[in-house]
Amino acid sequence: MTTDSAHAPATPRTAASGARPADHRRTGSPRPRRRNRDTVAGYVFLSPWLLGFVGLTLGPMLASLYLAFTDYNLFTAPEWTGLENLTRMAGDERFWASVRITLIYVLVGTPIKLAAALAVAMLLNYKARGTGFFRSAFYAPSLIGASVSIALVWRAMFSTEGPVDSTLNLFGITMGGWIGNPSLIMPMMILLAVWQFGAPMVIFLAGLKGVPAELYEAASVDGAKSWRKFISVTVPMLSPVIFFNLLLEMINAFQIFASAYIIGSGTGGPGGATNFYTVYLYTRAFANNQMGYASAMAWVLLLAVGVLAFILFRTSKSWVHYAGDSK
Amino acid sequence: MFRTLTRRTLTGVAALAATGLVLTGCGGGGNEPAALDTEEQITLNYTFWGNDDRAARYDKAIAAFEEEYPNITINDTFTDYPSYWEKRQTEAAGGGLPDVMQFDYTYLRQYGDNGLLLNLEDYFGNGVTTDAIDETLLATGTLEDGTFAIPTGYSAWSVFQNPGLLADTGVEPYEGGTSWEDYDAYMAAVTEAGGGTVYGGTDTTQRIQDLELKLRQQGRELFTEEGELNFTQEELAEHWTEGQENRDSVTVPQSKLEEINPVSGFGGSITTSEMSWSNFLGGYLGDSGAEEITIVAPPTSNPDEKDLYRKVGLMQAASAQTEHPEAAAAFVDFLINSPEVGEIFGATLGIPASETQLEGANLEGPDQAVKDYLDSIEDRIGDAPAAPVNGFGAIEQTFWDLGKSIGLGAVTPEDAAKQFFDEAAVTLGN
Repeated sequence: MTTDSAHAPATPRTAASGARPADHRRTGSPRPRRRNRDTVAGYVFLSPWLLGFVGLTLGPMLASLYLAFTDYNLFTAPEWTGLENLTRMAGDERFWASVRITLIYVLVGTPIKLAAALAVAMLLNYKARGTGFFRSAFYAPSLIGASVSIALVWRAMFSTEGPVDSTLNLFGITMGGWIGNPSLIMPMMILLAVWQFGAPMVIFLAGLKGVPAELYEAASVDGAKSWRKFISVTVPMLSPVIFFNLLLEMINAFQIFASAYIIGSGTGGPGGATNFYTVYLYTRAFANNQMGYASAMAWVLLLAVGVLAFILFRTSKSWVHYAGDSK
Repeated sequence: MFRTLTRRTLTGVAALAATGLVLTGCGGGGNEPAALDTEEQITLNYTFWGNDDRAARYDKAIAAFEEEYPNITINDTFTDYPSYWEKRQTEAAGGGLPDVMQFDYTYLRQYGDNGLLLNLEDYFGNGVTTDAIDETLLATGTLEDGTFAIPTGYSAWSVFQNPGLLADTGVEPYEGGTSWEDYDAYMAAVTEAGGGTVYGGTDTTQRIQDLELKLRQQGRELFTEEGELNFTQEELAEHWTEGQENRDSVTVPQSKLEEINPVSGFGGSITTSEMSWSNFLGGYLGDSGAEEITIVAPPTSNPDEKDLYRKVGLMQAASAQTEHPEAAAAFVDFLINSPEVGEIFGATLGIPASETQLEGANLEGPDQAVKDYLDSIEDRIGDAPAAPVNGFGAIEQTFWDLGKSIGLGAVTPEDAAKQFFDEAAVTLGN
């Protein structure tokens, strides 16, 4: 990913790091010693995180990078196989099926979720009685949504003769349970994701509060109606926040695991319809003992998400407007 | 704050979020310091797969053990079968297997050959009593380097029926051991009378045991002596296709089964019959809440062929890395031989392999029915197949998953057969 520091505003922190400590030492000023002490203290405070990062994230990541090029069944030592895992992946039908359903989930689910989040955020942006309550109420699902218990509740809700089925039956729509139906399980999974719109909603709400009221006033003076104001004022002013939410939610969506694992009984059921990328990766690793293949899958996912994020960043230049930008 | 949101901040956040993608591993269990002493407090971890019914029985068995060995405490946990093995695989890799485990014949080779299990032979006559255990059954736990697990008992493939549920439909029970056409007719009659809420049975081509039964009725086995698949892709496609008629209108729709998973159709009281191992009786009684469950012989296309066999399933094993091997061996011995454990479990872990336990079991009611069933099929019992190939557990699961997918219409029998063979090639190639 690119670090486009040219656009970063000069903060006091970056200015300080630009100074050369050697100069201070030569002049014998008391400042460098304090800075050295500060630096040491800084690293001391940082060390718990640093240890965790190196030991629990970086180390395993590097190990999995090595394992991605091996045949490793957990029981015997890894055996170097070069690119075999990748070539096998290319011809693995279940792999491509899992890529397909994961992309559908991400590309359909994320925009719907963001649209819902923005819509509710705009409603909650009006000053009215009880908005505080509604903000909490709408935010709550995103706190608990990824939990096992919620997945179990959704399983029960969407079963045959469960609440959803019974309600639909009242309106004469009989499609039976969604849980056992391979073509209805994806809409249900997307609903479950959209229902958790609280986190992006709160960020949108914060962004909406930051849009200067005078811009809307100016637009009103120019005769703009509410839709026009939305398109020409709200969306451009909100674009950094939209971009931020889009990026985060997309990355989150790729990682869907717990709810899919529970709802699909851990086997990607029914009929492979919940065999999302991470579920398949897990199956390969822990049910089939193919750690090498699973590691390769993990890296392919990381690279794919990295490339998508990179593309998003590139396109963002044309539609994201930063308040700090000079242009 | 969002007005000053910069690209740099975003890049940082994105990088962090991407790093979060990396899946974290799971930690292994803890190890207690070792000291063998009858005064010393010893804690052993024990784990098993099963349902609430089995858990209640284990609670009683553990209480009995702790009474006899007051210094040993057993910490037990349980889960369902597929996740049970997923957990054990990670523990095996991390060196944190529980001290004692309920084990499965299917996985014996994988764990035993890799030095993960305690060689119980070292404790034979010195902690583990083998005199009362049927020799052929005991031998199933033996690999080249020693004996790594002891079977709790044995079972055989069978047809279970729920007489209470069946009475509501007015259909006569399946008598067992007759032709496949008879059984199909029985299932069809129940499904028709059941009016969409009760079905006659579950797809009889879905599981690898279904195929095995069919092959053995032709005098064949699932695997060759070299451990390779002993049937062709075309034969497998044909096997699954044969079930299509029943799937279309007779057997319980797979979508209904997906909803009640991990309980089976029979356990969930939506089918009046199901084929499974005879030791499933206890689980079925618990799951379905039925007062009575009967057990008869599976249908056959060739009554003269010895198509059934005494299957060793459940075993008890200990970890090679346990800090208290003597205590672990004592617990295994207790679970295998104790008459008290026999009384608690009856035939739900199979008909006890140990004579002392079988006597203690004092079989009655449903357990006696299992024993009677196993005695009744004596002339259909042939040689058991060779020890399961390394990776059989994964193959068995893949077969079942594909069988379910066919039932949902998500894949054709031909494609499923191709996927199965691709998968088996990778697994068996390892």
